[in-house]
Amino acid sequence: MATSQSTSEDNNIEGSAFPPARLLWQQMQGFRGLYIAAIFAMLVQTLISLLTPLVASATIDYALSQEPRKGGLPALMVGYMGGPELVRDNLWIPALVMVLLTILAGVFNYAKGRWAAHASEGIARRLKDRLYDHLQRLPVRYHDRSDSGDIIQRCTSDIETLRLALASQVVEVSNAIILMLTAIPIMMILDIRMTAVSFALIGPIILFGYFYFQRIRHLFRGVEVAEGQVTNVVQENLSGLRVVRAFARQDYEIEKFATPNKLYRDRSLRLLRQMAWYWSISDLIVLSQQGIVLFVGIYFISTGSMTVGTLFAFIMFLNMLLWPVRQMGRTLTDFGKSTVAMSRIGEILEVAEESSPVTPLATPALATGHIEVRDLKFAHTPESAAINGISFTVEAGQTLAIVGPSGSGKSTLMHLLLRLYDYESGSIKLDGCELNALDRCWIRSQFSVVMQEPFLFSKTIGDNIRFGQLKAASEDIAEAARVAHIHDTINGFPDGYRTLVGERGVTLSGGQRQRVALARALLRDAPVLLLDDALSAVDSETESTILEALKQRHGRRTTLVIAHRLSTLAQADHVIVLDQGRIIQSGTHSELVVTKGLYQRLWTIQNQTENI
Amino acid sequence: MTLQAQEDTFSSRLDLKLWARVFRHALPYKHLLIPLVIAAIAIAGLEASFALVTRWVVDDVMATDGPLNLWPYAAVYLGIATTFAIGVWVFIIKAGGLSNHMSHDIRRDCFRRLQQLEFAYFDHRPLGWLISRLTSDCDKLARIIAWGSLDIVWASCLIVVISIILVVLHPVLGLLVLSVVPPLILVSAYFQKKILLSAREARRYNSMITASYSEGLQGLRTTKVLVREKENLQEFEDLSSNMFRYSVRNALQSAVYIPIVLTIGSVAAGIALWRGGIMVRQETMTLGTLVAFIFYAGQFFNPINQIAHLLVQMQAAQAAGERVLSLLATQPVIADSPSVVERMESIKSRSLPAGMAPDGYPKTIESIEFSNVNFHYKADEPVLQSFNLKVSAGQTIALVGASGGGKSTIVNLAARFYEPTGGRILVNGLDYRERSLQWYQSNLGIVLQGPHLFSGTVGDNIRYGRLDATQQEIEQVARMVNAHDFICALENGYETEVGESGNRLSTGQKQLISFARALLARPQIIIMDEATSSIDTETEQLIQQGLKTVFEGRISFVVAHRLSTIRSADRILVIDKGHICESGTHEELIARKGHYHALYTRQFSRQKALETNTCVAMN
Repeated sequence: MATSQSTSEDNNIEGSAFPPARLLWQQMQGFRGLYIAAIFAMLVQTLISLLTPLVASATIDYALSQEPRKGGLPALMVGYMGGPELVRDNLWIPALVMVLLTILAGVFNYAKGRWAAHASEGIARRLKDRLYDHLQRLPVRYHDRSDSGDIIQRCTSDIETLRLALASQVVEVSNAIILMLTAIPIMMILDIRMTAVSFALIGPIILFGYFYFQRIRHLFRGVEVAEGQVTNVVQENLSGLRVVRAFARQDYEIEKFATPNKLYRDRSLRLLRQMAWYWSISDLIVLSQQGIVLFVGIYFISTGSMTVGTLFAFIMFLNMLLWPVRQMGRTLTDFGKSTVAMSRIGEILEVAEESSPVTPLATPALATGHIEVRDLKFAHTPESAAINGISFTVEAGQTLAIVGPSGSGKSTLMHLLLRLYDYESGSIKLDGCELNALDRCWIRSQFSVVMQEPFLFSKTIGDNIRFGQLKAASEDIAEAARVAHIHDTINGFPDGYRTLVGERGVTLSGGQRQRVALARALLRDAPVLLLDDALSAVDSETESTILEALKQRHGRRTTLVIAHRLSTLAQADHVIVLDQGRIIQSGTHSELVVTKGLYQRLWTIQNQTENI
Repeated sequence: MTLQAQEDTFSSRLDLKLWARVFRHALPYKHLLIPLVIAAIAIAGLEASFALVTRWVVDDVMATDGPLNLWPYAAVYLGIATTFAIGVWVFIIKAGGLSNHMSHDIRRDCFRRLQQLEFAYFDHRPLGWLISRLTSDCDKLARIIAWGSLDIVWASCLIVVISIILVVLHPVLGLLVLSVVPPLILVSAYFQKKILLSAREARRYNSMITASYSEGLQGLRTTKVLVREKENLQEFEDLSSNMFRYSVRNALQSAVYIPIVLTIGSVAAGIALWRGGIMVRQETMTLGTLVAFIFYAGQFFNPINQIAHLLVQMQAAQAAGERVLSLLATQPVIADSPSVVERMESIKSRSLPAGMAPDGYPKTIESIEFSNVNFHYKADEPVLQSFNLKVSAGQTIALVGASGGGKSTIVNLAARFYEPTGGRILVNGLDYRERSLQWYQSNLGIVLQGPHLFSGTVGDNIRYGRLDATQQEIEQVARMVNAHDFICALENGYETEVGESGNRLSTGQKQLISFARALLARPQIIIMDEATSSIDTETEQLIQQGLKTVFEGRISFVVAHRLSTIRSADRILVIDKGHICESGTHEELIARKGHYHALYTRQFSRQKALETNTCVAMN
């Protein structure tokens, strides 16, 4: 599994560098103007910063040396400052010009930073929003098949890689390119021989950086993987803390942690050794380049073919060039990562969203709640049918109970009603309209649902109940909570309805969660209520109170109940018993109890204790 | 909430005492620390000397007419460059080594400490919070210690060396150029702090975005069913906008900071050019010295920036340092007492007689007794008061009652996950605090309400109960709890991966596996806390039959809502508000017509009513 994934990743890097790059280009849409503005500011800033050493250089040559020279770019600079004589007697002028030029370059640097940040962060934000919305519109079937850890990885670290690419790598690379493109002509005007000398080792520096980082790229990845393992073991251990203690397995766990912890350290050390070699070798090359410029320059000075000022200018230019140039190898490698990240994000964005019919049937705001299912078939995988030909009808306002062992298709049936999955054959009609022809969102808003393992968001309890009905009044919320028999519990918390759910707030028990979810569903007051084993963790006393309260809805709203405890189902108008995707029994409770079959068997087991 | 607040504190002052304590953790690594400091000093000196070489060769070339033999200069230059490169190699290896070894050791010690701490420690600390203590906090600290000590030594040496060189070369001009250092420090400190704060805000929103993605995926069905996509997206957009705002702010702060620092640097260079130029014209200074001055004026920025950055980071990481140190300093409350440790040590040397536990008392647990036990989680909210209960081997005790009444507390105390705040719990008549904790807990078989599995195979999870169990033994316990059939039906049988915390299995299946795991441990005490709530009726029935043999000869505690589960217990205790309000067998309690009777009849009243209807229908 893991190996196949890594090879496919490598293929992406090697094979299709272009499509992701094009994807990246597409993402820039709407922000290209800003990028161009940033590049323009960068160009101006670079030109100005290149002038600064020239001022010092010209001053050295024309004002300070014994035999001032004439002509060329430096003479022009001195000319602008008022001529050699004036400069010579007023050396504060070039000093001031240097400071002013630096400030001016700073202004353009700010403009560049501002525009580049707006562009790159804007792109990243838009992409994140798009991805979030896309994910929640993808079919459930897609989410069933994919690993949520992997999706989250793509949404977070891949987006972050991309953001860094846009915010820093693109900027850095353009910076280096612009710097070289502007510096080279100026240097050539100053001294063409020295320009060649200055670039003697620039190529090797870039190539060395690039190939070195290409070669050790896998080490970075290895460190990340090992770090992930450390986190995993800690997470597993802490979330299973009770189990660890229950079996007194602390020593075993400490040993288990030692392995990834050591691995993480050793891999980091290995990477570190490589980095030590990289930095010391590249330092040596960089210093050699500086040495070559210094000594060749000195040689030219000694032969009288160059001035100290020019050498000074070349040394300063080289210093400006070296840092971006030596970072380039790494930047390019990181940029390679971002194309992989882009293609991984692209894979998610390509998946088709849940579709609704182009022209859905016109529907009233609320359905009456008449449900008709005919010959319904559905399979999660081609081999095993989860629903294998089911037919039943529920009149509006009636209560249908669904019973059956685990895996008999009860929950799948609920999901099909909610259009979480698409059914392939058979028909489901709500108020006589085929679900396929209706708008998905409309269908879902006709149902109040409590799922088997209800999910609460890490918001306040009040917000969780209000989740589907943002505008609900607090009296209605309290009323729904009262019916769900959770109102008093909530008021018992110090913060009442404002109590946060989850790790940062209170941890609700299974039964409490189910009741909050029930309140959430009741607040919607939709035409059909679906309860999927919704009270399994609620104690029986509370359950009977809740069921009593729900009874009042009878006749007004259609109700579908799935439950293990048959006592929950007793008040249903009709009961169907599912097994292996088929209806094996159906009738009223009283009929089924006296008929030989699964229902009677379950009833007997649950009532063995009835001989008081 | 308080934890959240702690997380966000940014100490306005540097707590030097704390950092002294943190840095003490580096002492065991003297062999790395000393060469590290030497290398940092050497590098600073070498880095400062490059401009001197330039000055030397420029001055000499200006002084000589005609060609100059450059080879000696080049040789010196190459020597310095090579030494410098070697120094860089040494300091990266040493500093990185220090950082990695320290974070490894701190992480190891923290993990070990977490294994020893009692549950009360974990009650108010969310999982995610603890995990980041062990990962990011440890790394952060180690990095600051290692790279921080490197940077501080290197940067301050560089500043000192350059200052000395400047003052020696020309005292007046030297001091003039150095006058830009204080503003440079102030500006750097100010901006570094701003930059760090906005970066931290951006990161905070980034982690909220991560949480939001993850919650969005987990709650996907809920969102779809409640048709809440639009509102979710709006909430998400709030987060991503905030992240946008802080990231841009961060970039803008850098975009202001760098030009300001460069301007200050250019002021220094300007001063050197202006005043130095005049001196060159007066021939009181050489051209080479002037060039060196201009170069040095630009060299201050980097080390000062580094020091400012480090100080700000230390301020920011102070909270992390405190948390890690306090975790390491926390002593477990529930642990073997010194006398127990001493006894076990003295026994270790002799051979253990058969039937003896490592602490020198009998292996077999005959009885557990709660004697006047008081317990509270919070001082003003007592959960148990003078609770008494004696259970002997072979007995099964069922605990029923409303939630919050203290049932789980009783089993947690029995398991010694918590210890009584008053009174004693006796094992074979002896306070269990006199017994070895490790021995006691390895004799427990516990099945909890939310069954937790580790990632790994089904077989691995069952084997967790007894690490040296054979495959046959594993299958045997799996059969006992009726898990064997469904396990065999899984794609790889016992070798099937259960996924992260077992999420590829249903809750009921997880409960069965955790049953098997508990049984494999051959426990003397069995504790089942709402262990069968998610198992369907038929399976539960089968388990009940299997359990009869399991419970034989053992002490068992069963907590359950479903009364059918506990009917067969030897004694049923109805617990309410920390007291036993009724106790007896099922028949006795029913006959008494008290709480239990009320609970019981309520649960079956509807069925009873229906039963009557059915009878009528049958007739």
